[in-house]
Amino acid sequence: MIDFFLILGVGMCVLVLFCLYRVVYGPGVLNRAAGISAIGTKTLIILLIMGVIYDRVDMFIDISMVYGLLNFIGTVVLAKHIERTGEA
Amino acid sequence: MIRDSQDVIVKTLARLLMPFIIVYALYVVMHGHHSPGGGFQGGVILAAGFVLLAVSHGLEQTRKRMSEKAARVISSIGVFIYAGIGALCLILGGNYLDYGKLSKLLQVMPAEARSLGILGVEIGVALAVMAVMFTIFFVIFTAGESLEDDGRGK
Repeated sequence: MIDFFLILGVGMCVLVLFCLYRVVYGPGVLNRAAGISAIGTKTLIILLIMGVIYDRVDMFIDISMVYGLLNFIGTVVLAKHIERTGEA
Repeated sequence: MIRDSQDVIVKTLARLLMPFIIVYALYVVMHGHHSPGGGFQGGVILAAGFVLLAVSHGLEQTRKRMSEKAARVISSIGVFIYAGIGALCLILGGNYLDYGKLSKLLQVMPAEARSLGILGVEIGVALAVMAVMFTIFFVIFTAGESLEDDGRGK
């Protein structure tokens, strides 16, 4: 069972690299913002998978909830900033 | 300077999320001693709620709920609670922040007094962190205008 989640976690880490490519080279600010948001969501899932592997899901779920909340607020703030300065 | 706008989605989402953010922040503060979190983390989550409010409803609406002056007072109260509990332990004959000595004052077992003492300290830390984070966000987002408003220098 642990092996299954380990493979799942490694797969998620590989997917993060694809999003990171979009963040670094992506044309325009909007692609980068979407990439950062996707990386945040994947990190949340990786945290939960780590929780299952270490058998402490109850602790990791607290951290992942804060992570998701701050990810959402960060994306909203970034969107507001783009709206204000007009760089798209 | 962020002004009030007509973003229905962001506004509704902020209004729906705000109570959950505050309850979650209080949970993080209260369970600081047996799960991840504590005063600092809970304060940051509270401040994040205010940041969401400022971003979605504009700075004027946020100022009505929490002005810069109130933030200054709350941060001082937070530090006062922290230092006050520490000094109380000193007065009762222990070291600084030696919560076990509070058992005489609270009429409970020393172990229980330690748990309650650290909870009080965490509440103080949460208040101070929340107010200071909020002030930093406000000053950065208004590019220092909020400092000039009340004539406190630049």
